[in-house]
Amino acid sequence: MALKSLFRRNEQRRSRREALRLAAASAAQASATIFLIMRRMRAPLIVLIGIFAVTVLGLTLIPGQDADGRPWRMGFFDAFYVMSYTASTIGFGEIPYPFTYSQRMWVTISIYLTVIGWAYAIGSLLALLQDRAFRQALALQHFTRKVARLREPFLLIAGYGQTGQLLGHSIDALGRRFVVLDLSAERIDGLELDSYNADVPGLAADARDPGLLSVAGLDHPCCEAVVALTDDEEANLAVVMAAALLRPEVSVVARVTTRTLAERMQAFGNPSTVNPFDRFGDHLRLALKAPASYQLLTWLQSGPGGTLPTRGLPPRSGRWVVFGYGRLGRELTRDLRAEGLEVTVVEPRPDGAPEAAMIVGDGSDPWVMAQADLDRAVGFVAGTDNDTTNLSLVAAARRSNPSLFIGARQNRPASAPLFAAMDVDALLVPAEVIAHEVYAQLSTPLLWRFLREMPAHGDAWAAQLTDRLTSVCGTQLQALWKLRLTPEEAPALPAWLAGGNARLGQLLRNPEDRDEPLHAVALLVVRDGQATLAPDDDFVLAPGDELLLAGWAAARRALGTILFVDAVREYVVTGRRVPTSWIWRKLGPAVRTEVP
Amino acid sequence: MNLEKVVFGFFVVLAATLNFGFFIGDIENPTLHNKYELFAAVVVNLIATVLKFGDRTQIGAVHLATSLVADLQLIAATLAFGYAVYVSSDGLTAAATAGIVSLSGGALLANVVSVVLLVVETVSFHRG
Repeated sequence: MALKSLFRRNEQRRSRREALRLAAASAAQASATIFLIMRRMRAPLIVLIGIFAVTVLGLTLIPGQDADGRPWRMGFFDAFYVMSYTASTIGFGEIPYPFTYSQRMWVTISIYLTVIGWAYAIGSLLALLQDRAFRQALALQHFTRKVARLREPFLLIAGYGQTGQLLGHSIDALGRRFVVLDLSAERIDGLELDSYNADVPGLAADARDPGLLSVAGLDHPCCEAVVALTDDEEANLAVVMAAALLRPEVSVVARVTTRTLAERMQAFGNPSTVNPFDRFGDHLRLALKAPASYQLLTWLQSGPGGTLPTRGLPPRSGRWVVFGYGRLGRELTRDLRAEGLEVTVVEPRPDGAPEAAMIVGDGSDPWVMAQADLDRAVGFVAGTDNDTTNLSLVAAARRSNPSLFIGARQNRPASAPLFAAMDVDALLVPAEVIAHEVYAQLSTPLLWRFLREMPAHGDAWAAQLTDRLTSVCGTQLQALWKLRLTPEEAPALPAWLAGGNARLGQLLRNPEDRDEPLHAVALLVVRDGQATLAPDDDFVLAPGDELLLAGWAAARRALGTILFVDAVREYVVTGRRVPTSWIWRKLGPAVRTEVP
Repeated sequence: MNLEKVVFGFFVVLAATLNFGFFIGDIENPTLHNKYELFAAVVVNLIATVLKFGDRTQIGAVHLATSLVADLQLIAATLAFGYAVYVSSDGLTAAATAGIVSLSGGALLANVVSVVLLVVETVSFHRG
């Protein structure tokens, strides 16, 4: 056993060394560009030195006169001085004595020569500064330095498209750091214009290169997770592979759109994969079975500041019509059929043989619309990858049957206002689905656990919890935070917890006036790996419990005071005012601070 | 024959020979040390330095370092020369000349190292 762990450690050390080597290789690549630039400055510099040498030498050799008309020759210092100010077009005049005609002739030639020399040298230097390779090398060095200086846990996000930006904003709102890699230089430039609280290091580079991933922090001790969100499935796979092989201990989340790729990824460690189409199908199933659970799930996933979504009521029986049988259509049809619903599929260009209950044809064709028989359907999904088509399908469906439950897929962010105006019942925005899911997985492990275990508690339970949350915090999701009842994180609690009668309801009171409850709800308590969802006020807390709370930021601060200050905790729990200073405690009546 | 190597070798050797030409002679006697020769040595040394820019090999790095040392010493020598001629009230005394020439002697040592490196590089170069 010990031998095995030794081998394992050796292996890890080796892989770490490998990663460092890769990072060094990238840095060398950057310095190589600097060398190239030095090499390219050779010719202009030599021309400049040559011109200066010739002109200075000429000036010392040409005979001149001093103020009294005696023959005189310029020394090297005078000549260099005259040439320096002449070449740089400053022109102090003829010193130390007025020039003779032969000297003036030489200076005239020199002026033209040196101006050409300087123009060539400065022009070359400016051209180099504009050079793409040089700028990239500088950006890489700047980025490497910024990432290496990170001293707090951070996420590495590969792919900064719509999804990456949404995720970035939620992560930033949590006060956490992240590093971005993206192929497009425009998106990386956009980072500087985005209103983030923290500085976000970003590099326009190919995330498939493991060396660049190392530079972006894969081998940084503070890197806690890698998120692969690029549009390119292969690139996501490459990122998952690199992360699994170089840093097996960091968690990896990747965007996928096909099942085969998700399975290929599973061969590397155990990355968590997010398939937006599959997730939309799952969500729709959940919405069919338990609308309140679905409402709570989407609310908690939407990140800080999310508003409570309306509770849709999808029809549980009847026939559904799905337009578009691509990646989304297939997943959705499978999920709906698994729920025992009848599904009619419409697809203009099916790949493979048409299946049962499939109409081959264009949705804009009135004959096809008639075939789909929307009048007797209950649900309708416009799931093509074209927003214009989806919008026109939704409009046509609504005209033929206004009572339909309508789902639609929004592909481009620019179409958002149009879909909002259409007021569809279930809107799939793949980028948002992925961003919310990744956020739920990475924000705190407790939230992810809560969301996974929540559907099992049933719809009525979820509805009740949603009511509790809205009554305490309103319809806007406030802060979500984690609390560990250990002596380090809650120094005022151990004595009270040890009493064995520490009820949650006693703790969540307002420290100013204990008759008022704190504006916070405990969503989850984890004790020894066992989770209790939405514990009520009579729940008895024990030392070492981990809590997930939702509520106002003010409640979070107030709870912090309760956990740290003995006197506040005493007041909140028992109602007794205890002096806070040592001397008053000694002088005042003996108060037992421990609750039996 | 590689023209780049010819130019490189030419400037490295010329820098050393000019330096030597200035250095040789009684250290205190200014008439034995030609100022034009010092000027030429400075210019050729600067060109040799620029020619050594951007070589990533180990030997290239040492080449550049020796050249930079030679430049530093020669420029110090010219500054001392200028000070003695233009600023100092005593003019070009024996002591000042000795200072200038000994500075150029240091540069000569660096240039000799440079030439040795050039020879080593040439000898260790195997064709095919």
